[in-house]
Amino acid sequence: MSKQLLQGNQAIALAAEVAGLSFFSGYPITPASEIIHDLANRKTIKVLQMEDEISSLSAVIGASLAGLKAMTATSSPGFSLMQENIGLAHMMEVPLVIVNVQRVGPSTGMPTLPAQGDIIQCIHGSHGDYFPIVLYPNSVAELYIHTISAFNAAEESLSPVILLSDGYISHLCETITPASNVAIKNRERLPLGSGNRHFTGLSHNGSLPKTFDADNHRNLISRLREKQLHVAGQYNYYEYRKCRKKTDTLLISFGALSRVAYHFNNDVSLFRPILMFPIFDDLRHIAAQYKNIIVMEMNAGQYAHEIERMLHREVTLIPVLGGRINLEEIKNALSGVIT
Amino acid sequence: MENNAIKDVQFKRYLKLDILPTPWCPGCGNGIVLKTICQAFYELNYPLQGTVVVSGIGCSGRSAGFFNLDSVHTTHGRAIPVAEGIKYANEKLNVVVVSGDGDLMGIGGNHLLHAIRRNTNITVICYANEIYGMTGGQVSPLTPKGFRTLTTPAGNPDNPIDVQYLFKGTNSFFARTTAYHLNHMKKCIVAALQFNGFSFVEARTMCIVNYGRRLGYKNSNAMLNHYKETYKINDNTAELAPNEIGMLKTGYMQSDE
Repeated sequence: MSKQLLQGNQAIALAAEVAGLSFFSGYPITPASEIIHDLANRKTIKVLQMEDEISSLSAVIGASLAGLKAMTATSSPGFSLMQENIGLAHMMEVPLVIVNVQRVGPSTGMPTLPAQGDIIQCIHGSHGDYFPIVLYPNSVAELYIHTISAFNAAEESLSPVILLSDGYISHLCETITPASNVAIKNRERLPLGSGNRHFTGLSHNGSLPKTFDADNHRNLISRLREKQLHVAGQYNYYEYRKCRKKTDTLLISFGALSRVAYHFNNDVSLFRPILMFPIFDDLRHIAAQYKNIIVMEMNAGQYAHEIERMLHREVTLIPVLGGRINLEEIKNALSGVIT
Repeated sequence: MENNAIKDVQFKRYLKLDILPTPWCPGCGNGIVLKTICQAFYELNYPLQGTVVVSGIGCSGRSAGFFNLDSVHTTHGRAIPVAEGIKYANEKLNVVVVSGDGDLMGIGGNHLLHAIRRNTNITVICYANEIYGMTGGQVSPLTPKGFRTLTTPAGNPDNPIDVQYLFKGTNSFFARTTAYHLNHMKKCIVAALQFNGFSFVEARTMCIVNYGRRLGYKNSNAMLNHYKETYKINDNTAELAPNEIGMLKTGYMQSDE
């Protein structure tokens, strides 16, 4: 394919089609609506506007079980509404992709402004234990590539994969050269209507509901966890930019904010997770070389807590709230931390 | 007679007999509806592969797992949109939703409204027992006014939904029937399955353990007798009276006349 000027949301739509998307349902929401607008004009994809985000994800689950590659896209408030069916998709092992273009919350918040407030919601938003694969690109080109990664990871893991974006990245226009010769994973499981299987949100063993069997449930959850970790290991993308000077400080950031972090690469080393969850040991090895770990994110410390938990050490948080990304502000905040 | 005897066995191929019994209480009417759905499948010669049953949560939601075909047991209230996703993904499949009145009209009420609007070609069989049975017997969208439940000890202060009116002026199919009127129930389900568009069968069924006994019914047979004495069949009408069961002439059928 030739060079194209694309908005982030358009890149997601284009990549989804390349990855084999054939069913999309969603509900209008700022700043994610451009995805459904774009897909509605693509003839190979069935697009349904549903009555809410709950039914959007429900229909995606149905279509996926019926054998199609399926996706929905929303923003933070809609993502909150999808949580019950995210748990269902993990329990029934339904491959699908959920795009979450984050905006400022809680509640209606600041609809047009970017945020990163759904980091913990991605992994703990639904009840019970589940282990999602979460990707978070930081450019239009990466949105394209990792939309395809998300579809492939979903097919491999038979689970709902979350592709995070934010109001900034998704509305950014950049020139990209979309690769067309990408590897695409196809569905192995037979579609609905070809057997006598029972897909249920109840704890189960195969097609049989098991509502009183603790051993069976433990086996089920540990099997799902191992499967997720195994597949996620193949999508362990991150960006590590070592500072050319000697430095004690590692600055961790992702999404929109990580683009601002590049400005400080002369003074600190940078780490940017693209695979947000699960977190693998690479970060532990890299972090071991630094005295100070700083996490800069557009929330009150969601990923910082996860990093602390993972590294067993204290990290410094720079929260950037309210959708305002200001270089001077961030410079000041950093200068107070870097010694 | 011989023919009927064979039929009586044949419908069982739609059931996973080896995983019986169901989790339902003695006296529950759900088994009657489950059996009648299978009989309707048999009458229409539905293929085991090519038919999908989707259910929500609750007593009736558990029935999906007993069908000997691919089935999906979804979250509470979301059976209809999951079924719509399946149908839009593969129009060749026969997609049937089985769930209760609390699931379909309470927590899932909005989806029902919009499935009627979209007139998606699926069939919904509602096990209408007028109560949230699985959770012990709380007031449901179909509990009549004044009836006592665990959450309305002084009597339900609200009127129930009369579901037929959701279908007025639409192109979708609505029928009401009861667990007493077995032949009528089968006729309604067959008509609903054959209908080209969204079809809904409100099958009144009895919950003795968490509903009827608190209302003074001695056993579930007494509840069946109540259906027998209350309801008269009136098919092909524009509107069903409170004591009537039958198939509604839909906007679609009227315009065809």
